[in-house]
Amino acid sequence: MDNVLEVRKLSRSFPGFQLKDISFTLPKGYIMGLIGPNGSGKTTTIKLILNMLKRDGGEVRILGMDNIAEEKAAKAELAVVFDSNYFCEAWTAAQTETAVSGFYENWDTNRFHRLLEQFHIDPTKKVKDLSRGMQMKLMLACAFSYSAKLLILDEPTSGLDPVSRDELLTILSGYIEDGEHSVLFSTHITGDLERAADYITYINRGSLFFTGGKDEFVDSFRIVKGGPEDLTEEIKARLIGLRTHPTGFEALVRTEELERLKHASVKADKNRSVQGNGDSALPAYTSVLKKPSPVDSWTVEPATIDEIVVFTSQEPYREKGRIR
Amino acid sequence: MNETLKAARLDYSLLRPYWKTLCFIILMPVIYTGVARSLSAGISFEMCMLGVTASYTFAISEKNGMERLYGALPVARRHLVFGKYLLICTTGLLALGISLVTHTAVLKALGETVHAWEIAVSAVLGFFLYTFYVVFQLPAYYKFGAVNGKMVQFIPVTGYLLTLILLPRVDLNSSALAAALGRPGMLAGAVLLCCAAAYVISIVVSVRIMKNKEV
Amino acid sequence: MKLIISNVSGVPIYEQIKQQVKSAILSGELQEDEPLPSLRTLARDLKISVLTVTRAYTELEQEGFVRNIQGRGCFVMGRGSELIRERLICKAEEGLTEAVRAARMAELPAQELHRLLDILWEENENG
Repeated sequence: MDNVLEVRKLSRSFPGFQLKDISFTLPKGYIMGLIGPNGSGKTTTIKLILNMLKRDGGEVRILGMDNIAEEKAAKAELAVVFDSNYFCEAWTAAQTETAVSGFYENWDTNRFHRLLEQFHIDPTKKVKDLSRGMQMKLMLACAFSYSAKLLILDEPTSGLDPVSRDELLTILSGYIEDGEHSVLFSTHITGDLERAADYITYINRGSLFFTGGKDEFVDSFRIVKGGPEDLTEEIKARLIGLRTHPTGFEALVRTEELERLKHASVKADKNRSVQGNGDSALPAYTSVLKKPSPVDSWTVEPATIDEIVVFTSQEPYREKGRIR
Repeated sequence: MNETLKAARLDYSLLRPYWKTLCFIILMPVIYTGVARSLSAGISFEMCMLGVTASYTFAISEKNGMERLYGALPVARRHLVFGKYLLICTTGLLALGISLVTHTAVLKALGETVHAWEIAVSAVLGFFLYTFYVVFQLPAYYKFGAVNGKMVQFIPVTGYLLTLILLPRVDLNSSALAAALGRPGMLAGAVLLCCAAAYVISIVVSVRIMKNKEV
Repeated sequence: MKLIISNVSGVPIYEQIKQQVKSAILSGELQEDEPLPSLRTLARDLKISVLTVTRAYTELEQEGFVRNIQGRGCFVMGRGSELIRERLICKAEEGLTEAVRAARMAELPAQELHRLLDILWEENENG
């Protein structure tokens, strides 16, 4: 079994929101980030995977097992960490083990206590007295104590300080190191986890925008910045997202569009020179040759995941950026 | 069965941090029995108090957002329901047993005579009342949650008030009652059978609610 | 071997790894048949994606710097590798072509350019 998680055409509609045809595959031994703005359907997707919500259509396979027909067997191999604690606050860390361990056949008590030590969690301390980061580490300690094959995290970094976020990253990188364990996490804070993720599934307003390798995702976009007069309708039509300010613009483009953008801008420049520029006695074509095309003066930078998400969430561009 | 036990144990672990409160609830009605000098009245009060605690596990899990834990655990939803009923039923029987012993002891210490049939009647009455209190409450909590379903907490209280009003008015000379009391074994059997049926129906309803529940 | 990943350089991480491994090989820091750090361990240590390291290693292999032995890891091909030598010569040619082009644009005589090359050669040897 090489795919830990297969999601096919997963759909669910609510009044006022629709999750449609979400498909992605997570191979064994890798980390996948489920990204998108708030309310885009990340948590819904995770809850559908866990059968906490009923799906309208589609299919979910966890380690090859159907998530509904073989729910119990699938969940025995799976661990979930939510953005906030889901254990009883009055429990101590040790009591948490007593309450939960019975459900897992391969629960390893020694391992659990070693992990508590490693995470600096006092087993006699009550859950409510643990910090948010500690509560998450307690959930992770439980997950690792029955060596869950797939770890699903829903917005794990949202309430964490930078130190805990970094620790989480270290823990996750260590978890998948042996190539047997996999991670799916949802987040809207892409910054720190952006480096560690192998795959990205990007959902926007309930639809799949992209799924695939992270490097491929980031590589397929560029940020261009230029002066305000460089923008023409033709160029605008090729942009995926645009932000203008009095002194210039910033835009997101597909990497393969860059060349075509260059032609468009040269043409625009030619038109400009032909139309006016009374002080220039040179024929239009020489002005094009002499003057560098505007694109050459633009700054072209790699885009961060954050920038891609921000730009592609803009209203008129949402459909254009989609990868089919 | 194994799964049910595990689920019951998980539910029990929710109550365990509150064991002092529970002990108080189980032992406190002794005072009532002492004042009222009646075993059945004391047991009725006891069962009312205990009936109210049926919402505890729901309230605790709701407060901690534990439906997310339940969603992640490798356990079928129906087993979670079975476990809950098993725990509720066991606590009820256990508390009933404890209070029958303690209340009788208190009454005897106060110089009252307690007949064996009185104990038997109180036991059957107690179990019946408790069953009546919980079989309506549990599905309601499954459906609406502990906070939104709080109104059903009044079932035990209402039931207790009803017994308070109705018990003294029972006409011991009515022929139907006399016939029933003439065969105490059969009466007890019928009551217990009713209780069992009520549990089964309640469980079926709860499982159905839980299966369709989305969190 | 030292591997330092910059987040702000704008150079993709796999490219940064490639460049640093290459320079370690070319400088002789990494000897022939020496293993590269295991793919997954390196990803864990640098907290970067496994696929990113995979890409860097695969491209290094395609360019003839390392060879991948299934199940055992990646090993340095050695500086003496014919392929690497060829590539280096190729790179030198490219650089020189660029220099010649610039010199012609600046109307710099060929002798001057030769002299410039000699100076740079000396400097590089000493540095």
